[in-house]
Amino acid sequence: MYPAEIKEYHKPDSVEQVLELIANHEEGESLLLAGGQSAMQAIKSRMLRPQCIIDLQGLQELKTINDESETLKIGAMVRYCELVKSSSLNNNFTGLKDAAAHVGDRQVRNRGTIGGSVCWNYAAACTPTAVLALDGNMHLISSDGEIKVICADDFFLGPLDTAKSESDILISVSFKKSKTRSGSAYKKWGLVKDALPVVGIAAFVKLDSNGSCCEARIALTGMGVGAQRAAAGETPLLGSDGDPQSIEAATENICANIDAPTDLSATSDYRHQLIRSIGTEVILTAFKRAST
Amino acid sequence: MKNIKLTVNGEKFEEQIDNRLLLVDFLRDNLSLTGTHVGCTYEGVCGACTIHLDGDAVKSCMLLAVQADGHNVTTIEGLSADGGLTNLQQAFNDEHGLQCGYCTPGILMNMADFLTENPNPSEEQIRHGLIGNLCRCTGYVHIVRAVKKAAKMLKDSAHEDRT
Amino acid sequence: MTSAQDPNSIEWLGERLARKEDLRLVTGKGKYLADIVIPGTLHAVFVRSEYAHANITGIDLSEAESMPGVVAIYTGENIKDRINPMPQAIVQPNLPAKYPTFWPLAVGKVTFHGEPVALIIARDKYIAEDASELVLVDYEELPVVLDPEKALSRNSTVVHEKDGTNEIFSMTFTGGENEEAQNSNEAEVNAIFDSAPVVVKERFKTHRTGLTPMEPRGVLCDWNESDGLTAYITTQRPHIDRLALSDILEISAEKVRVIAPRDQGGGFGVKAPFYRENIIIAYAAKSLGKPVRWIESRYESLMNVGQERDQINDMEIAADLEGNLLALRNKGIADNGVGTTGVYWGFVMPFLGAIELPNAYKWPKAHISLKVATTNKACLTPSRAFGHFPTRFALERCIDMVAHKIGMEASELRRNNLVDALPYTSVTNEYYDSGDFLKVWDTLVEKADISAFRKRQSEALNDNRYIGIGFGCGVELSGVASDLLVPMENQPGYGAATVRLDPRGKVQVFGGDAPGGQGHETTTAQVVASEFGIDPAAVVVTTGDTGTTPFGSGSIGARAGSYFVSAVADACRELKEKITRILAYDLKIEARTEHFEFTDGEVIYIGDRSKKSSFVSIVERIIMFPINLPENEVGGLDATAFFEAAKPMICFNADCCVVEVNIETGDFEILEWMTTEDVGNVINPMVVDGQMHGAIVQGISNAVFEEFVYDDQGQQLTADFENYKLATAADVPNIDIHYATTPCPHTPLGTRGIGEGRPSSIPGALTNAVCDALTPLKIEITELPLRPNSIWEKIQQAKQP
Repeated sequence: MYPAEIKEYHKPDSVEQVLELIANHEEGESLLLAGGQSAMQAIKSRMLRPQCIIDLQGLQELKTINDESETLKIGAMVRYCELVKSSSLNNNFTGLKDAAAHVGDRQVRNRGTIGGSVCWNYAAACTPTAVLALDGNMHLISSDGEIKVICADDFFLGPLDTAKSESDILISVSFKKSKTRSGSAYKKWGLVKDALPVVGIAAFVKLDSNGSCCEARIALTGMGVGAQRAAAGETPLLGSDGDPQSIEAATENICANIDAPTDLSATSDYRHQLIRSIGTEVILTAFKRAST
Repeated sequence: MKNIKLTVNGEKFEEQIDNRLLLVDFLRDNLSLTGTHVGCTYEGVCGACTIHLDGDAVKSCMLLAVQADGHNVTTIEGLSADGGLTNLQQAFNDEHGLQCGYCTPGILMNMADFLTENPNPSEEQIRHGLIGNLCRCTGYVHIVRAVKKAAKMLKDSAHEDRT
Repeated sequence: MTSAQDPNSIEWLGERLARKEDLRLVTGKGKYLADIVIPGTLHAVFVRSEYAHANITGIDLSEAESMPGVVAIYTGENIKDRINPMPQAIVQPNLPAKYPTFWPLAVGKVTFHGEPVALIIARDKYIAEDASELVLVDYEELPVVLDPEKALSRNSTVVHEKDGTNEIFSMTFTGGENEEAQNSNEAEVNAIFDSAPVVVKERFKTHRTGLTPMEPRGVLCDWNESDGLTAYITTQRPHIDRLALSDILEISAEKVRVIAPRDQGGGFGVKAPFYRENIIIAYAAKSLGKPVRWIESRYESLMNVGQERDQINDMEIAADLEGNLLALRNKGIADNGVGTTGVYWGFVMPFLGAIELPNAYKWPKAHISLKVATTNKACLTPSRAFGHFPTRFALERCIDMVAHKIGMEASELRRNNLVDALPYTSVTNEYYDSGDFLKVWDTLVEKADISAFRKRQSEALNDNRYIGIGFGCGVELSGVASDLLVPMENQPGYGAATVRLDPRGKVQVFGGDAPGGQGHETTTAQVVASEFGIDPAAVVVTTGDTGTTPFGSGSIGARAGSYFVSAVADACRELKEKITRILAYDLKIEARTEHFEFTDGEVIYIGDRSKKSSFVSIVERIIMFPINLPENEVGGLDATAFFEAAKPMICFNADCCVVEVNIETGDFEILEWMTTEDVGNVINPMVVDGQMHGAIVQGISNAVFEEFVYDDQGQQLTADFENYKLATAADVPNIDIHYATTPCPHTPLGTRGIGEGRPSSIPGALTNAVCDALTPLKIEITELPLRPNSIWEKIQQAKQP
């Protein structure tokens, strides 16, 4: 119910100060706190017992969305509510908006951040899934000053496991803007509205000048392994214009190639059916958004 | 222990507190503002603890009190600036939007924020906006009606201000 | 004391009066248990069992005890010789059952995941939790008993060894009092089944679910030698809690006061039992001589209480081809959990559920029996729709299945067999006092317009869309008469109210039952205002304090609108008689009470309207200036009335819902929900509407989203709101309520108690609608919860050749 003892609490003003604080503590002692909407559950249930909390709310430099000509760069501390309102996410990156708009509830969205979500990488989470489908890049700084850029495929390793090490801070998540038409979408299903995804699917498609799909990325969550690529679903879409047969082949391929667990939320067969149903809708929407 | 300075309902406070003290407990136990309620354990799902942090509706059980250092907090006791009922509170009274009242402060704080962003909400938007507040008594029907009425009252009074 | 309706008292009744409670509640000034501050209060945290069934082989408190800030720690061993164990007569039904011995902390062994094992008292609640982690308990695991049918078998491990069996209770509810009569009735029922043209036989299962008030439980106890014990408890029945604490802790009753806080965050039955925590917290306060407070966490709440409805019903209905119901046969098996909770012991819920099983239908013959099994799970807790949620689901589904077999509309089959003349006594000897079921039913069916719906449905099918309509109904208790409450709960059923006038013409009302949000302050004020012709603002209602209120068995079974307000009305009328006697004397006229009108703050003689008094002045005269009175009259205006209805009373409702099922995913959406209610005369329509909305949404949430899950080791897996999912506003529809009322002839105001049983007709109506939508696939659903996953599986099975 209540957190275990927290020996230190800091709210630094700069990334440098954060790195210094991390370096001054043993591994496993400190915790970077972003929005806290996931971390505080773990801290209050005492699953996590950080000795030192480093509150990132003071890092104004991580709170901006930079909409550049080639890249969209989202600061790690940008909140879901800001993603939902940002026009920079229109066109290519609506899938990320879809995900952000339905995380938890509006109180959560007023606080939770994109950086917190991707670094936590909960087993069933919307934002990592959308970031993975949109081929996001995670920009990190480590305590020795080294800047690392890790693509989403390499960043998300498994539930609560990412390529970010404890001495790194995530600075931003960036996305390359497509030169040709592209579109994305995300949808999930849970027992109650906007619940954690029992199945969540994100799709991104890029069209060439003829309107044929030249690139597709599909990501999935809810299978118990965190956000995962569903590459098997991408191949049937290439060269298509989003026709029903290609989409059906895509979702069938995903079902054939991805194990779905049976748990309290759903059976394996039902998860596969949701993949078909939601996958179809999400891929169709991505194509529609790409064509407009 | 940490020394924090914050404004709560327009009043300045300086307190020495434990790092691990939850904001909801600080408000209820240290400042005796018991209008904010606790309805779940650590999961932060029920929303009864909703307050405004710098104007945004957030769950106070999901924050450490130290995180409010230097910030503005508004609780249900401070929702009305002049001590009378706000349009939203009046609408809840008019439409019987509460029964036991336990979830009500959280709902009012959330909806007050919601209405500033959605002055003309549809029923679907209201219901979606209420996902973060569980209510057991009302079945939500009267709550939705109350929020709709409040939106109308706010619109009418804004119109009056302009004419 | 009852009386015919008084023609004076109709002004405030039926008024959509905004509630008096709201001002404090919308401004955060309510006072719930956790808001009550007594300086010097110590905080209590329970250490609870990690195992479902295990011997306690050792408890090491040394580390916990030495933590700074820890004041005391209690275990079963160190309190068992100091506190009387349960059962105690005051919280034990007069029913033949097994009542296991237990203390508030586990002694010797634990019997469910979450059972309290130790109690830590500390200066600060955070420290108390720290200390609770340092308590080391050694367990020796025992085989777990989880399946109720297996629990009843001969080779099962027995949970309460001294009782020698896991069958805590069993009963046959039809045929008569003795076994011979019951057997001969059963034989007659069997004969009907043997020759009936239509028989539907099915096993229906309802899962473990119930009610979760938004405010968890809490106890705050204060002790001093001279006043004794003051216990603030989140309770629906403070007067019973008081007697139980007195008996168990051997504190003389005049030194025990229980106060239910004025504001409680919902009860719904969950705050009706007498809980272990009450005992041990009171004991700790007394032993330490300091105030002690326990506030339940949601985790504890979901682990320990709010679990009900866990039942198997093997049901059979016999009918003829014209749609007449001929007989009903039902064998119920209830999963009681450990059964160790005072007042209800878990089994009283299935007991009442079996009694209410016949519902609103005329059954020529029935055989209804029930077995209740002990398992290593939390004890069943009463949850709104006390006991009959599972039996009503089974019945309403089975009736639909009979209709399908015959080939007639399920709503028509119902109408054919609804009780058409009241009063009526059911096959389980339940008395239905009054009402017009057919009027309610026809009102609903007219609104539902089935033939128009069938057209809509077939057009939708052409579009490959599956919509369906479903019906259900419910006869619900309106208060609980002593005739039932004495055997069932060893408590009286009467309503009691003290009405006290003051010299300024204001009124105080005192009632012993403790509400949790039903608006009693307002509805009571409306009744008093209507009786005396004054403003409801002049009426202040105090509830739930045993030190100031007359005895009441509790806010249970819809007692307020049936028994409590009736006592209020009777007390007001007693005072009106005195007022008019004295006023007539003062005016020097011969007149009786019925010759006076109480209206608009005046008391007026109808025969000559110039002869009158303001209400305030006649009241002041009687209380403050009691001279020149009629012979044998004394001053003062204070009356306490006790109300027991002439007969047990009921109310009735009918539900209709329309759903659309997504055939690809089994997901469904409720498109419409409409209901018709007979709630008797209505005091405040807004309050009644709110009660109906709340109950229906609770029913939907229970049927679809909520489920308490235990794994095969008896570990409870759903002890937080991420896993135990409640419906949010986005998950439930609007509800359209209609009224078709008949005044109750047995209450002074013609009102009925409402709202308690209301959720029971929901799961049947909803599942009926889903099955109706899937008629082309001939799917019949017989199990709850009603989930898209399981609907989809049924669709797949149906599609197979």
